[in-house]
Amino acid sequence: MNRRELIAGLGAGVAAGVFGLPRFAGAQAAKEMVTVVKIAGIPWFNAVEKGIKKGGGDFGVNASMVGPANVDPAQQVKLLEDLIAKKVSVIGLVPLDVKVCEPVLKRAQAAGIPVITHEGPEQEGRTWNVELIDSVKFGEVQMQRLARDMNEEGEYVAYVGTLTTPLHNKWADAAIAYQKQHYPKMKLAADRFPGADEIDTSYRTTLDVIKAHPNLKGILGFGSNGPIGAGNAVREKRLARKIAVVGTVLPSQAKPLIMDGTIREGFLWNPTEAGYAMVAVAKLVLDGKEIKDGVDIPGLGRAAVDVGGRQIKVDKIMQINKDTVDGLISQGL
Amino acid sequence: MRERFGTSALARFAGSHEGRLLAVTLAVVAGLSVATTGFLTVQNLFDLLTSYAFLGILAAGLLVVLVAGGIDISFTATASVAQYLALSLANAYGLGWTTTFALAVAAGVACGLVNAWLVDTLRVSSIIVTIATLNIFYGLLVFVTGGQYIYALPDWFSAGIFWFETVDAEGVSYGLNLQILLLVAAFALTWLLLNRTTIGRQIYALGGNRDAARRLGFSTRRLTFFVYGYMGLMAGLASLAQAQLAQSVAPTVLVGRELDVLAAVVLGGASLTGGVGSVLGTVLGLVLLAAIQSGLVIVGVSSYWSQLCVGLVILLSVSSTALTLRRRAGRVSA
Repeated sequence: MNRRELIAGLGAGVAAGVFGLPRFAGAQAAKEMVTVVKIAGIPWFNAVEKGIKKGGGDFGVNASMVGPANVDPAQQVKLLEDLIAKKVSVIGLVPLDVKVCEPVLKRAQAAGIPVITHEGPEQEGRTWNVELIDSVKFGEVQMQRLARDMNEEGEYVAYVGTLTTPLHNKWADAAIAYQKQHYPKMKLAADRFPGADEIDTSYRTTLDVIKAHPNLKGILGFGSNGPIGAGNAVREKRLARKIAVVGTVLPSQAKPLIMDGTIREGFLWNPTEAGYAMVAVAKLVLDGKEIKDGVDIPGLGRAAVDVGGRQIKVDKIMQINKDTVDGLISQGL
Repeated sequence: MRERFGTSALARFAGSHEGRLLAVTLAVVAGLSVATTGFLTVQNLFDLLTSYAFLGILAAGLLVVLVAGGIDISFTATASVAQYLALSLANAYGLGWTTTFALAVAAGVACGLVNAWLVDTLRVSSIIVTIATLNIFYGLLVFVTGGQYIYALPDWFSAGIFWFETVDAEGVSYGLNLQILLLVAAFALTWLLLNRTTIGRQIYALGGNRDAARRLGFSTRRLTFFVYGYMGLMAGLASLAQAQLAQSVAPTVLVGRELDVLAAVVLGGASLTGGVGSVLGTVLGLVLLAAIQSGLVIVGVSSYWSQLCVGLVILLSVSSTALTLRRRAGRVSA
């Protein structure tokens, strides 16, 4: 390499550094996006990671995922602090506790790092929140399904992960409100129950609920283990014809209960697409593209955008029933 | 003599922690049976035994560790390792009941012995050691398995055991199942160990006064290995009871339940400083917790209040014991 070429090369490098030209980003230090999830190593977030990796490949972003070993908001904050210190280009976050994460996200914004959240519609300090479902609609769709199986009358109960898990409770609120408005003959038999994150807790709760409410006709489970525990209990008590179980489930986990008709239908969004969507939106932000209603999210299609509320929604509700379950399992879900 | 000499055994029992706990438990059960029709039924009894078997079997193991003056926090991780190992091998090699149980128990005991070795060698407080091993066992498990759940269990395991099946008026069947059998076996074995064997007496002595036990010539090292190994054994059994009930193996769901077990054992009168505790007390502690948790749902108390109620009952029960002990201590010194 002669001196002229060297100087030209240096000049190009400086120019790229000064102007931050996106098209040089791949050749220069690649943009790095690290996403902090709720917990590492569970099937759901393994699927999210798959999407993040795919998005990283498609958009030329060095995208990866980290998460605490157990469900602990303080550990998420620690991981976020590390990322700010490392000066990554974008932070992704699936928050456990929106209040706990708020201060550290404000520090990230102050350091000029955009934050893309998922499952965090109320997270302060974010740049954008990406959802594959509309929370209200997601609750309503499941209530419609339950109502159909209950002939729009009778008692039902609802389970959530914990009484403070933001999304679960938002879905439950929407479902119950929809019932009150549209199905006056249906009745919520008791306040919503926590424990839908654990199979044996929801199993135990269901056994008690069946005794407390002998006329129970439906169980709506938000939290992916809720319908499983409820389904196990209902099947064991041979009440599957009388009590309809509907809710949020993972296809491979729910397959036996779906096939024998205990779980009438499951609802979910695709975690791999969610991971992909976070990277796609991050890429739009990095490139400085304008994000407005109807924007095309590469690979996912048109999105409904609430610019003031910093929300991006792509409608992707996934229905899990006897016809679809095998196809979804073969996608690794 | 420190106790009222010559009073009958019954009066002595009534004054003991177990006696008071029994009274509280009976009061709660009576209250719930009056308030509802669904609580005091054979059906509910079987349901409760089944759903609380996992916690109960672990409580039996933890009782022995507490009596010996130690504590173990890692047993939920041990149980996760045991059930994952046993059932994935059962799936892969088509094993039967005996081998699967042997594997789960062996894995549990192995983890327990690691704890014992660390506690004995490092001479650090066992709570620190077992918090560390909880993370190590759990971390290794999640790392090796990638957190994959096992949904497809061997058919014979999914079907489980169902003896003396009875069908009630509404066509709902119940009977002796795997969970209840293991629960009863765990408590019976622990009772025999603590009350009918020399080792049991040595365990009480070790927990009561470690130096005295050593001077009496007990091998504290061998006893330490025994109690943590026993905890591991119980964790192995409990893990299969839980997997059969949940009809799946999930490496991430058991860790975090330690405190429920500890609450039942301590509520049952076992001392965190060692030397004190009984199987009867632990059983009652567990029954009380189960009765409140299940009873609140059946009575229809809002789930927003239920944790508060559980906490209050634990606090009331423990403070009544503490107050009596203090009064008694005051009388002795006066």
